[in-house]
Amino acid sequence: MPRPHGLLRAGFPYLKTIGMRRVTNTPVDVAIDGDEVVYVLGRAGEITKLSMEDDILGVIAGGGSDEGKFTWPVSIALDRDENLVVSDEALNRITTLTKDGEVVRTWGDPGSAEGQLDRPAGVAPDAEGHVYVADTMNHRIQKFTADGEYILGWGRHGSAEGELDMPWGLAVGDEGSVYAADWRNDRVQKFTPEGDFVFALGAGGSGEGQFRRPAGVTTDSDGDIYVADTGNNRVQQFSEERRYVDRFIGDATLSKSAREYMLSNAKPNRLREMAVLEPQKRLRNPRSVKLDAKGRMFIPDYMSFRVQVYQKEVIPLGPSGIIPPLRSPTLQVT
Amino acid sequence: MADGRIALTAHLLRRAGFGATREELEEAAARDYEAVVEDLLHPERFPEVDEDVMGRYFGWDITTLGAAPWLYRMANTRRPLQEKMALFWHHVFATAYSKSEHPVTLNRQIDTFRRVGMSDLPTILLELSRDPAMIFWLDNNENHRGEPNENYGRELLELFSMGVGNYTEQDLKMAARAFTGWTFTQPIPLYPHGHYQSSFVYDPEAHDDSEKSFLGETGRLTGEDIIDIIARQPATPRFIARHLYNFFVADEPQVPAWSVEPPRDPDAIDAMTAAYFESGFEMRSVLRVLFNSDSFKNARHRKVKSPAELVTGILKLVGTHRFPQPGFEAYAEATKMMGQELLNPPTVEGWHTGKEWIDGGTLNERVNFAVNEVAPDKPGVQSFIAGLTSGKTSLPPDEMVERSLDLAGPVAVGKETRAGLTRFAETSGGLSFATEEESSLSTAKAARMLQLVVASREYQLA
Repeated sequence: MPRPHGLLRAGFPYLKTIGMRRVTNTPVDVAIDGDEVVYVLGRAGEITKLSMEDDILGVIAGGGSDEGKFTWPVSIALDRDENLVVSDEALNRITTLTKDGEVVRTWGDPGSAEGQLDRPAGVAPDAEGHVYVADTMNHRIQKFTADGEYILGWGRHGSAEGELDMPWGLAVGDEGSVYAADWRNDRVQKFTPEGDFVFALGAGGSGEGQFRRPAGVTTDSDGDIYVADTGNNRVQQFSEERRYVDRFIGDATLSKSAREYMLSNAKPNRLREMAVLEPQKRLRNPRSVKLDAKGRMFIPDYMSFRVQVYQKEVIPLGPSGIIPPLRSPTLQVT
Repeated sequence: MADGRIALTAHLLRRAGFGATREELEEAAARDYEAVVEDLLHPERFPEVDEDVMGRYFGWDITTLGAAPWLYRMANTRRPLQEKMALFWHHVFATAYSKSEHPVTLNRQIDTFRRVGMSDLPTILLELSRDPAMIFWLDNNENHRGEPNENYGRELLELFSMGVGNYTEQDLKMAARAFTGWTFTQPIPLYPHGHYQSSFVYDPEAHDDSEKSFLGETGRLTGEDIIDIIARQPATPRFIARHLYNFFVADEPQVPAWSVEPPRDPDAIDAMTAAYFESGFEMRSVLRVLFNSDSFKNARHRKVKSPAELVTGILKLVGTHRFPQPGFEAYAEATKMMGQELLNPPTVEGWHTGKEWIDGGTLNERVNFAVNEVAPDKPGVQSFIAGLTSGKTSLPPDEMVERSLDLAGPVAVGKETRAGLTRFAETSGGLSFATEEESSLSTAKAARMLQLVVASREYQLA
């Protein structure tokens, strides 16, 4: 889809929180389908299906090593057939499940040869039905058919352009580019679909545009790039041109399930009245970030057992709505 | 390299750390003993455990209470004495999960021990007195002006610094009053979004600011004053030194008996006490004297390994879990089955150590654990087998026994154990790697020999 000429960024307010401890434990990633079902992948292996109203629609998968189970799941994404693709870094396995948890296929061999995997983390299906996998301990990205046949791969251990150090999250942009959270290099790298280096974004640190072990990355139809800056407990937003735009540190309110739980538990209600509650709003080790077609941003808030949701508000602008880019900043506003 | 150097260095690395791989051992033994001690005393010379990798793979898991990640640290740290001192203070300042069920503050307490464990005693006691896990464990959050709760004051004197017989009941009451108002912030409760930290807070409204007399000093004494006075008492370093001796050198009777039974090595206690005062109460200086003393060097195999030491030592021997893998919780479970549930000691007295680690059940657990971990496909076992022959194609039974005992420790065994190992070696006909078939058979025999060594009585001794 062609990009608009420009954007009026009207806001990006916090929308709501879904999930709670025991419902969505240690969430590592989420996927959102066209029916607005949110698939929350927990580190212990279960996938909890939540509605946007925070109703539990079902739980599929679960912990274990049998087919359809997960030991150390990392990433979940919907493929073009609307099936769920899940990586497991303990089993070196990629599993495709229906939304009801039926196993469609599994594949993955441990090792370092072409097509083999050593701790696969991020998975990102593209529009053609291929699947990119962040092959963490081989420090590379590999592209497979949906059935797991090797197509191509790139990357080696290092910190130069195009090199990787324990990559984690992956995303495919709407134009087919591949974005990788280059975890141990504290940056995001963009590649062509064939693996040619396009650019790197970020460096180690806690300032604007800096990262501390970024785990997740995604893009949206405006070309914006979102990075789960895990070690800094935040998500950062960048424009397609790598300009730092905004950050999200967490604004959580109690989810519906959390409110229902608290209304029947007198002691924790008193303890909450004695405590400073501000920290409870904040993100703790967010390990991923995803956006749906409506511009809602979902952040699995790993250490707080929930998903925080924000709503992107932008108005597309035509040439009459925004002047051409300027070479330099200016203080003149009219 | 002289065998004596290897054995002495292995002893040091077992006691001041959690054992070593053979490669680490040979590298350390090639250096001056005192230089190795200095490296142990200065953890800042070495990188910390890779916490990013631990966080990425282990994450945060309440079910393990942090015990498994801690064991992983013990097995993988390049700062072994720093970690061993954290374990030492956990033994002395025993705080348990069972009361608070609040793992994040317990983990923070261990972090504090890691951070200040080798600094001066007043700093250590001050940090301890301000530690939310400890404050809750000994009810100091209930210690208010006019309504004192004496639990913390009592244990501070009885178990944490001076020992029974060195203060009066009146001193104890005054100490408790001085710590009134030392409490912690209310953490956000577990549900619905997980545990949150707490931090120390001083509540002046709850503090008893009146005049107090403590160990001969009078004034409007605060908790800080109490700690300063304690640190200056001759009984204090003697008590801490005895704890150190029991933990690092040789088993002493259990703490409640210390007021009636003298230390087994009074000279060692005197030397550590002198270092304590000369250095301005610094633990690092006390430890330097300890590790360089003849009493330490001559105390090989005179202590029963704690479960944590046994488990981490075996992990080093078999060479697994050098990087986070699923299932590591099983090792925390193993120490628990052997009688040491880390972060959950049975009482404020901590674990009863020495021979009390061993009973019919726990010995079974220890031996089964060690034997089950020794499998021929593990990297450390493969190195052991390669080291046995050192490139030769065969090894006669007597050398098989000697080399096995050397490479597994070295382990010093008695006649009975040696006879058993020799019997096995002779029955199996030694080792031969001349053909593929012999090689396969000998690999199994060598692994079996290592299993017999780790199953021995002597292997239970540090």
